[in-house]
Amino acid sequence: MSWLTSRILSVVWKPTVNVVRTRYHADKKRLVRRYGYQEKIWRGGLLPRSEGKALPIPEYRPDNPWSVRKALFGQNDYIDILGPGNLHPVKTLYNIPSWIRGVSGHEYHILLRKKKMWAKTGTPRLRPTKWKEIQKRLSFLYRKLNRKTKTGPSPI
Amino acid sequence: MKSSLNMASILINAIKRLHLSPQIRLCSLNSAAVTTTTANKTINILKKEWEFPPLYTKPREVWIENLDTVEEKKLGLIELHPMVYAAPPRIDIIHSNVIWQRKYRWVSWAHTKTRAEVRGGGKKPWPQKGLGRARHGSIRSPLFRGGGVAHGPRSGKSHFFMLPFHLRLHGLTTTLSAKLAQDDLHIVKDLELPTDESQYLVDLIENRNWGPAVLIIDDTDYAPRNITAATDNLLHVNIMPVYGLNVYSMLKHDTLVLTQAAAEKIEEKLLYHLHSDNRERMKKFKIDQV
Repeated sequence: MSWLTSRILSVVWKPTVNVVRTRYHADKKRLVRRYGYQEKIWRGGLLPRSEGKALPIPEYRPDNPWSVRKALFGQNDYIDILGPGNLHPVKTLYNIPSWIRGVSGHEYHILLRKKKMWAKTGTPRLRPTKWKEIQKRLSFLYRKLNRKTKTGPSPI
Repeated sequence: MKSSLNMASILINAIKRLHLSPQIRLCSLNSAAVTTTTANKTINILKKEWEFPPLYTKPREVWIENLDTVEEKKLGLIELHPMVYAAPPRIDIIHSNVIWQRKYRWVSWAHTKTRAEVRGGGKKPWPQKGLGRARHGSIRSPLFRGGGVAHGPRSGKSHFFMLPFHLRLHGLTTTLSAKLAQDDLHIVKDLELPTDESQYLVDLIENRNWGPAVLIIDDTDYAPRNITAATDNLLHVNIMPVYGLNVYSMLKHDTLVLTQAAAEKIEEKLLYHLHSDNRERMKKFKIDQV
């Protein structure tokens, strides 16, 4: 019977409905997703630095391409063509040690030549450690080149 | 009979087509020296006595300029041999020459000590077995910090080699030809300057649009006082004798200035080598046979 009365009432009179807000967007907080996950990316700005002396950065000093040595580089290299013809450019290499002048070769060849040239001087008596080192190195290289490694490919 | 006449006519036609113009042009100059006057200027044109006459290519004509004034004045005309100053441009030969010049005198002094040379390390650091550590024989092996280097650089490594004689010869001719073809070669009567100030040379180079760097080649070892004093302060203007000429310097300096005597001397020397028997020089380089 009550349903009948409520039904008749709803047809005749409808109450005004006011929407009351209790939850606002500004009060909304971020939801915690992936709970327990710790992000390892640094979001804090500059990395922490220590005060005091910074690492030394050398001042850039460009070299002068027109210094005397560089400006006249290569002079007299064609002296056997353009000169009187009796002088070879190898003879003009004054700043190179005498055992390397005009020699191209393996370390063993150059060291052997150096030893032969130094044997005539006072080096064996005045620099015994150095002389011994040269002997040791020569023996090592001899054994290595002749017994342990192959020579290059044979000419075909 | 008919066939021989045909052969003769074919031969004559072939000879006509040969265009012997250089010799004909030279022969047309009646006297040895022809002087022409235009207004106040006199230009001397000299007929050249060729030791090795150019047969297949025309000789190159170059103005003779002066160094007396800042402005350019043309004093004469000279002919240069095409085999030296009009050779085909071979960039690979120029490259080989530059690489040779840079490398043949270079000795690398980088050096590392081997395990035998590093101080210490004769004793076995710990017994072979029992410790649970890796087995070692010396504390200076390449495996150790502070130990020797196994295959490191060894001092006094030479990069010496000799380029074949004809490659160096043609390097010179190609570079000279390239300089002439690119308007970077100037022939000058002599090196007499009016003043010994460096500013005069700077103004001269600026006025004539020569490159900032100038290489001056003289016939002899000694040059007049004014030009040596002027170039002393200018590092990019250098004077060399004829035997100091080389491909690297010619490429490093933008402009090449030759005196007339120097140009002729270079031509004479290079032509001599181009026409002589170079078999001895072409053989493999041996230090005791230089």
